[in-house]
Amino acid sequence: MSKRIMVVDDSRLVRVQLEDVLAGTEYEIAAYCRSGEDAIARYAEVQPDLVTMDIIMQGMDGLDAAEIILKEHPEARIVMISSLAYGDTFERAKAIGAKGFIDKPFYQEQLVRQFEEALA
Amino acid sequence: MNTAMTQEELERILDQAVQDVTERTAGVRLQQEDMPPGEDLCTVHITFDQGFHTSLTLCADTSLLSRMACNSFHEESISAEDLEEFSKEYFNVLCGRIARAMFQETQVPAHFNPPTFHSGRYEPEGQEVQFVLTYSNGQREGAQLIHHVPCSQEDGAAAGKA
Repeated sequence: MSKRIMVVDDSRLVRVQLEDVLAGTEYEIAAYCRSGEDAIARYAEVQPDLVTMDIIMQGMDGLDAAEIILKEHPEARIVMISSLAYGDTFERAKAIGAKGFIDKPFYQEQLVRQFEEALA
Repeated sequence: MNTAMTQEELERILDQAVQDVTERTAGVRLQQEDMPPGEDLCTVHITFDQGFHTSLTLCADTSLLSRMACNSFHEESISAEDLEEFSKEYFNVLCGRIARAMFQETQVPAHFNPPTFHSGRYEPEGQEVQFVLTYSNGQREGAQLIHHVPCSQEDGAAAGKA
C-alpha cells in the first residue's frame, strides 16, 4: 500500500520534481499545500503518513508551520526539504521534532532513504 | 575563526554551484564563456541578510530561463508567471547551495530572503559589483552571476562576517 505524502511548498517546480522522483516508488503525493497556513488547516483532513515541508515560503515559514502541526498532531512525521539545510536552521528543525532534512536539489535515493528513516 | 574568503575561493564555490544546480534542476549545461546576455533578459536577486552582507544577482537571457523552465516543468512553452516562479525557485536553490558551501568554509550561517524577480536588468542600490561570472549554454544564450558588495567595503575579502 502506498505511503501518502503531503507536500508543503510554494513552488510548483518542487511539486513537479517530487512527482518525477517519487514515480515508481511506494510513495504518492496525497495533497499539495502552497503555504504553511494551508498545511496546518488541512493536516487533519488529509492525515498523511509523511509531510515534506519547505522552509522559505511567503507568509508563515516552514519551521513555524511544522512546530504548530507537531503541537496539534504529535504523531506527525515531518521532513524538511530546503535549500537552507545547515547550521542554525538545521538545529532548529531538529529541536522542533522534524524527522529529517533534505537538501535541494534532491535525488531519489536520498529522498527515499530519508522517508524510510522518518517512517521507521 | 576564519570568517572571510578570498575572491578566488568564492568564485570557485559560485561556479561549482551554478554548474551543478543548473544541470540537476533544469538539464542545462552552463560553462564559463564570454557570452553576456542580450537585451531581452530577466534578473533574479537575493541579499544575504545575516552573516554575509553581500548580494547575488543572476541576469540571464529570457530565452535561456524559458528553456530551463520548460525542461523542468516538462512543457513546451510556459507562461510569464511560470517563468518567474521557476526563476525564483531555481535561484533559491542555487543560493542555498552557495550559502551551504560558504558555511562549510567559514562556519558563518548565511541567510537570505526569498529571491525577487525583475524583467530586464536590475542593479541593487547601495552596492557595487565585485566580480561577474559569465556563462553560456553553447546555443548563443548567456547568463551572468554578479556578486555585489556594499559600496563602502574595502578590497581584500570577498565576504566577511557582520
